Formats: sequence, C-alpha cells, structure tokens
Amino acid sequence: MAIAKANEIANASAGGAAAGMRLSDIGRKYGIFLFLIVAILTATIAAPAFLSPANISNMLMQLAPLAIVVIGQTFVILVRGLDLSVASVMATAAVIATSFHGQDSDAPAILATCIVMGGATGLANGILVTKRNVSPFLATLATMIVLQGLRFAATQGAPSGNVPPLYRLLGSSTVFGVPYNLLVMAVLAIVFGILLHRAAFGRRVYITGGNPVTARLVGMSADRIIVACYVICGVLAASAGLILSGFVGVVDNFVGRGFELDSIVAAVMGGVALSGGRGTIPGALAGATILVVLSNAVVMVGMPVQLQIIVKGIVIIVAASLYVRTAR
Amino acid sequence: MNGVSAKMGSFFSGPRTGLLVVLCLLLLLFIFGVAVSDRFATTRNILNVYEQSTGLALVSLGQTLTVLTGGIDLSVGSVISVTAMMVSGLINGDPSMVTPVIAGALVLGLLIGAANGGIVILTGVHPLIVTLGTGAVIQGAALLYSLGPIGKVPKGFDYFAYGRLPGGLSIGATFTVILFLLAAFLLGRTRMGRYIYAVGDDPHAATLMGLPKTRVILLVYTLSGMFAALTGIYLVSRFGVGQPYTGANYTLSSITPVVVGGTMLAGGRGGVMGTLLGVYLVSLLNNLLNFLDVSTHIQLVAQGLVIIAAVSVYVEKRRIA
Repeated sequence: MAIAKANEIANASAGGAAAGMRLSDIGRKYGIFLFLIVAILTATIAAPAFLSPANISNMLMQLAPLAIVVIGQTFVILVRGLDLSVASVMATAAVIATSFHGQDSDAPAILATCIVMGGATGLANGILVTKRNVSPFLATLATMIVLQGLRFAATQGAPSGNVPPLYRLLGSSTVFGVPYNLLVMAVLAIVFGILLHRAAFGRRVYITGGNPVTARLVGMSADRIIVACYVICGVLAASAGLILSGFVGVVDNFVGRGFELDSIVAAVMGGVALSGGRGTIPGALAGATILVVLSNAVVMVGMPVQLQIIVKGIVIIVAASLYVRTAR
Repeated sequence: MNGVSAKMGSFFSGPRTGLLVVLCLLLLLFIFGVAVSDRFATTRNILNVYEQSTGLALVSLGQTLTVLTGGIDLSVGSVISVTAMMVSGLINGDPSMVTPVIAGALVLGLLIGAANGGIVILTGVHPLIVTLGTGAVIQGAALLYSLGPIGKVPKGFDYFAYGRLPGGLSIGATFTVILFLLAAFLLGRTRMGRYIYAVGDDPHAATLMGLPKTRVILLVYTLSGMFAALTGIYLVSRFGVGQPYTGANYTLSSITPVVVGGTMLAGGRGGVMGTLLGVYLVSLLNNLLNFLDVSTHIQLVAQGLVIIAAVSVYVEKRRIA
C-alpha cells in the first residue's frame, strides 16, 4: 500500500520533469522500483508465506519507523550532508516517552518535548555544519555522542517507566490490518513529499544541494536551507523514536540502534546521491522498503539470521554502484 | 593551502598548526590533571595510560591514511572483531599455532583492505558506503563463525599487551609508536606520501597530473585493513579471547583522534603524528575523568564536546564553493 502511494508520488513528480528525459534518467528514477518488485517476487517464490497477510502487516510495521527517519535523512543528504545523530535522537525520544507518568494525558507534553529535543539537535548539527564549516559526518557524530552521554546520565544507564497507551496503540496496533504507524508514516511522507517536490522550499533544497554557488548567486541563503534540513531530520527522527518506543513497549538506552546507518543506506539505495542535489522521497522510501523486505526474506527463506547483514552489505554496494554507473 | 610542498616541510608531515593545537590541548589537560588529582601525574599512571592507548592508536593509524585521501574506513570495527575471533579460535591454546595464525590474520586484514580499495576504485562508490557494506558482510561472517567468545590463547600471549621494556615502557605501545614514525616517514619523505596528500587534496587534479591514484587508494585501504587486524590481535592479547563484537566501538572512536589531531575529513591535510597525540589526548582525558570519579556517561559527553571543540578550531577545507 505504501508502495502504491510512493509510486503515485513518483509518477506525479516525474510528470512535472518529463520533458527531455533520457533513458538513463528513467533507469535511475524507476530502477529502484523494478528492483523492489524483483526482490518481492523472488522472496515469494522462495517462501510463499512471505506474502501472507500476517507477514506483510509485520513488515509494514517494521517499515514505518525506518521510513520516517529516511525521509529526514533524505533532506539532509540532498544538501550534501548526512546525519549520524538520528539513532541517538530516536533513543532519547523513547526515553522521554517513558519519563512522564505513562498516561495518555502526557502524550501532548511528550510530543512537544521530543519535537523540541529533535529540533534542537538538528539546529546544533546545522549550525556546526554551516557556521563552523564542520563536516556533517563529524558534527552529527559529536552531537550523537553528547546526546548519548546526556541520556545515560539522566537515566543512570537504566531507563524505566511506561510508554503511554496512545503511543503503544500507534506503534503496535493495526486497523483493518493496516498498522497505525504506517498511517502516521504515510501522512508524514505526503506532507514532506509535497514540501520537497511541490513547494518553493523543496526547489531551494535541490538548488542548494546541486550547486551552492548558484544558490548564493540567485540570492538564496544556502546556510538557512541547510539548517532547516537538519532541523527537519531531527524532528522526524524524534517522531520515529516515539513510534518505535510504542512498538517496543519497554525502553532501553539504545532504541533505534543501527537506524543511522540503515537510514543512510536506504536513501542511497533509493537513489539519493551523497554528493547532493539528486534523489526523491518516493525513491528513498522504496530503498527503505527493500531493506525491510530483504531482512525479512532472509529469515522467511530459512537462512541463518547472520546472513541478513551479509546480504544487506552486498546489496548496499551493488545498489550504490548501479547509481554511479547511471549517473555517468 | 600552499600545495603539496608546504606540507612536506616537517618530518612529522602534518601542518604544524594541527600539531600545535593538539599539543596545547594535551598540555592544558595535563596541567589541569596535576591541579585536581595528586595521583594523576605519577609515572605509574602515565605509563598505564601509554599502555592502554595501544588499541586505539593502532586502528587510528590506518584510519588517518584513508582520511588523508579524502576517504574513510568504516569496516575497521568488523575487521578487528573477525581477526580477533580468528586468532583465538584457531590458536585455541596451541602454542605452535601462534605464528602461522598471526600471519594469517594479518594477511586477512590486508586482503579485506585491498578488497575495500579495489571496490572503491572499480565502482566509484563513496568509501563511506563501500566500507559500510563490506563491514556488514565481515560482521556477518564473524557471527557465522561464532555467536559468542571463541577459543583461547596460550600463556605468554598477553606479552604484546602487558609486556614492559626495562624502564616500564609498554612493549605494544612502543611498537605502535615505531609504526607511527614509519608512517610519518612514508608520508613526509617518500613519493608515495606526497601522492597520498595530492589525491586527498584534489582527486581530479591528481588524475590530470597522471598520479597513480589506483595504487594510492589500494595502499591506504590495505594498510588500514592490516592495522585493524593488528588491533584485533592486540585485543586478544589483552583480553585473552576473541568476541564477535569486540571491535564494534572502534569504528567510530577511531575517527575521533584523527580529527582531533588535525587531519581534515575532506582529505589532503593532516598527518599521523597529530593522530598519535589525539589518541593520547583521548586516553588521558578518560583517565583523568576516571580519577575525578566522573561517571562513564559524562565521559561520553566530554568526548563529544572535545570533538566539537577541536573541529571548531580547525577550519575544514570549504566543502561548498
């Protein structure tokens, strides 16, 4: 369902830029969706249970938190950055979710605190990158470590408390077989998809990432756009952390571990270029879907779990090298 | 940037400013340590810090070389883990296996590094993504080999980690310093060293000048893989057994000393002696925080702030225009 939606958005944005599109462009734009279909077909043939409603629902529920982070990561990568602090932000959001009384009346306060925390982290990242000219890798690595230390100090290493029932519902329940968290993800994908692919802000993001000199020449403040992208990424990561805390139910200090690299990998596999200025949200979401499908398929087919990361590693390199080729 | 020649001025091959900054930080930290704790500045403690810095120093040495070319090696943690498991798993307490297995582990590191470099060259994919991918594959292989600690080493294997020279200097740490001096010589006094800086400074120009970019990239990743393997061997020597996640934390922590020591992530500027001082700075900082009874949680915060402080002092080569 998410895929159908993603395709819709992709078609819409492709329609806008269709004039004079070359074959290689088409390959770059739709190759990922083709790859996704092939992956799903292969998995289904190897393990028929792969396409059972229960398994699909299961995969979609796993997809939602990753996809939300990937949307934010896409904004940052588009402006030639990358954000290693997302997993730390997610874990901090999860800890915040359990720091109140665990009742639904706390939900708005938790959400507000998380948005402020995520936004502030993004702001710090953005300022370090633009004003101090620190490389994004280092800036976000540093905020990741600082946030982790603060979180550990606040929880004394052992977080306790409950996640409010509302977040439990959003994170782990389904309505007519569709996970609530997928609906949240879909809403966020549409809102930020419109912001990136239909609004003036989105065009500025692409100009800034494609060529910052041009951005400056046409009188845009590239710095402000870049900071905004990091803030968006921080806020989305915090939201994903809340959703994931509802899925997991109990919180430790490492909710979201691995999401920083998975989200970058998903975006790159979905055609978002690390060199900036190229890539779309539908593509990145397809990349996230492939990651989830592959991890699930390895288990469904009955291979050892350790093969998950081996397969993931190989696919990362292969997918990324395909984009380099088409870009030439 | 006055070109390559200016960087070659010093034997230590780094821009002097970078070395100066980290030296000043070290000195400040030392003075602060002396002021707040009377146990800090004892010979015994300083020798311990020297000994404990070995692992981080070894892996950061290789990382510095890849970063100098504008790349990065995120597979080091997995390489450390897999070689550590291989060493303790294959030796399994048999003294006669020590030499062949250690040689095998170093070769494995070399081969993985060469594969990293080869894939970077052949595919043109950013090293960050390539080494992330190979790192995942190697970690998976390590977990396939064993899900927990495996094997054991014979008596005396801890000599590398805990042995002391006359005067109390750690054998492993001193061996590591010699490796750093050799790397500094490579970077500062050989043609290959100049090529490494040139490729990192401007890969496009390096190609136009006909520099052997392929050989440079292959060399730095191969060395990085080998130093990671050496770190794995060191960790087995220190802990007595190899575990599947023993190197996991080293992937990102190997980058801190590199940048604190003045090597720019953008490539082309910095040097290994700065990294060595960066390693000592990080080790001394953690040691001092231990003396101050600061919780390990706050130690993390301090480490993050040191990164921010250090990189804010150095101005990175402008990424944008």
